[in-house]
Amino acid sequence: MRWRLSALVLLTPVAGVALVLAHLFLGRSDVPAPAVLRVLTGRETEPAYALIVLDYRLPRVLVGLGAGALLAVSGVLVQAVVRNPLAEPATTGVGAGAALAVVGTLVLWPGHALAYPAALGGALATGAVLYVVGRRSFAVTGVLLGAVLAALTSLLLVVDSAPISVVLRWLVGSLNARTPQDWTLLWPWLVVVLPTAWLLASRLNVWVLGEPAATGLGLRTGPVLAVVLLVAVAGAAAAIAAAGAVAFVGLVAPHVGRLLAGADHRVLIPVSAVLGALLLSLADLVAFSVSVQLPGIATDVSGVPVGAVTALIGAPVLASLVRRENRA
Amino acid sequence: MITIIKRVELPGLAVAALAVCVLAALCLGEPRLRPATALAALTDPAHPLRVPVWEVRLPRALLGLVAGAGLAAAGLLLQDVLRNPIAGPELLGVSSGAAVVVATIVVLGLGVPLVVQPWAALAGAVVAGALVLLAIGRTRDPAHVALVGAAVSAACGGLVVAVVGLGTQGNVVVLFRYLLGSLAARGWPHLETVTPLVAAGVGAAWLLRRRVEALTLGDDVAAGLGVPVTRTRVAAVGVAALLAAAVASVCGPVAFVALLAPHLARRLLGTVSTRRVLPLAVLLGGLLLALADLASRLLLYPVELPVGIATTLVGVPALVLLSRRTAVPA
Repeated sequence: MRWRLSALVLLTPVAGVALVLAHLFLGRSDVPAPAVLRVLTGRETEPAYALIVLDYRLPRVLVGLGAGALLAVSGVLVQAVVRNPLAEPATTGVGAGAALAVVGTLVLWPGHALAYPAALGGALATGAVLYVVGRRSFAVTGVLLGAVLAALTSLLLVVDSAPISVVLRWLVGSLNARTPQDWTLLWPWLVVVLPTAWLLASRLNVWVLGEPAATGLGLRTGPVLAVVLLVAVAGAAAAIAAAGAVAFVGLVAPHVGRLLAGADHRVLIPVSAVLGALLLSLADLVAFSVSVQLPGIATDVSGVPVGAVTALIGAPVLASLVRRENRA
Repeated sequence: MITIIKRVELPGLAVAALAVCVLAALCLGEPRLRPATALAALTDPAHPLRVPVWEVRLPRALLGLVAGAGLAAAGLLLQDVLRNPIAGPELLGVSSGAAVVVATIVVLGLGVPLVVQPWAALAGAVVAGALVLLAIGRTRDPAHVALVGAAVSAACGGLVVAVVGLGTQGNVVVLFRYLLGSLAARGWPHLETVTPLVAAGVGAAWLLRRRVEALTLGDDVAAGLGVPVTRTRVAAVGVAALLAAAVASVCGPVAFVALLAPHLARRLLGTVSTRRVLPLAVLLGGLLLALADLASRLLLYPVELPVGIATTLVGVPALVLLSRRTAVPA
């Protein structure tokens, strides 16, 4: 465990820097590598290059890293709440709630740019509903709640299909066309959610022992549950509002984190955050690097949503992780 | 005495309700017909209203019945052999796995003939279902099932959205067929594809009924009764996957019929015996889906809803209520 952790500490910054550089140097519009370097050192005279690198590529990689970290931490917290390592932020139904709110506002006030606050509000409201009605089993209630909310979203979309292109982004999760504003809206959440989650870590270590043991050890389980759920939902809501309901990152990152760093939440939370950030950003690199030729469409489609990539790679990863766990 | 009445009356009532439901499906809509006119159009090939009644409404109503029946049988088999009240093709990723494959075939125009599509869908269903069953392992905890199934279904849903979004520039009708399930624009060829498979699947479920019932008593008891436990479980899950895949290949992953119909049948019959629940569950499944489709056609006319919306919005609260009363954790 010790050497794994030190390897992690040494390798992740390298991987992170490599990912950020790859994001800045690669892209659909052709910016020569020296120009990217000049932009980064502030000596570029061509404004178009500076615009592409600083206003398109940089926010995209930052939002990807931030949303990935938030999803992973939210995943750790949700898994702790339901005491089941197979939970993920989507289990709470917050993604479906965000999508419903976005569609609802777009149907009621077409054309207004209320998508961000709507997604955030919808996700938080869903978390509140889950907390109130889900006492018996957060996992089952969350899944059923998500199904109902998704059906309601579809109902609205059938009645008025204008918002569909906007909504598809939220349903799959996509980092295409992120702007500096998205990063401005995201980083305060990172600053609040990540440290709060880490401060809860030792309480989580006690909580996962089970209700009787936790109570016996003097943990006030009611308030702790409420706070953990709130932080988990807030993290997921911020990530979903920024990048959409990306599947599997919140599930796989904590799993890999547990394999590498063990189950102690004081270590698991930061490790998972780093892994989630790298994972989402890497998947995004894959997403915009591949271009597929679809029958029925003349041109190549590039800019596959990142959620499709995480869904594709996530399922086999999940299977192998689960098999390892069952064997252990 | 009461049980005998129930055993005769309930299926009889269900059949009568089915007949009424099909008749209503033939009559309602635009143009609205009298029952006599609808029946005349059914029997007379030269009737001026032959096309809407015979070519559009009848195959769709029958497809609802057949698909619902197949889903109910799949749900019952899964719930009983896994001994899990929330096992169902929609929560085991089976339906959505099938839907991904069919959506890919249809949207990207891969030119797979209609007859082969259910088998391709079966491959997707088996992969997704195997993933979920592998991840569930030996636990019977409903929460565990819900979590894994939800993760896999979410991933499949993401893939469907991606495929449909890229391939059709966001065609809503196609999207919802494979995301939620819909019976819109389905005709005789679809019915002819799915009916033999559902009939075979329900027949297999009937043949397996005693063994499956033995499994509900626990693996040890079943083994003591001389039932091959693993073989029965694999066979039952395989039959359920085939049923769900066949339905999903034509109608998409219609949710909560498979979960709800067996629960409803158990509650009405007052028993959990597989062989007694099976016939009524199959009838109720057909009735539920046919009714839901009728409602989806008419509620917001002229806008037609995907039937999956209706089954989810009705199914989830009903499931919660049913499970609360029978003290089965939902």
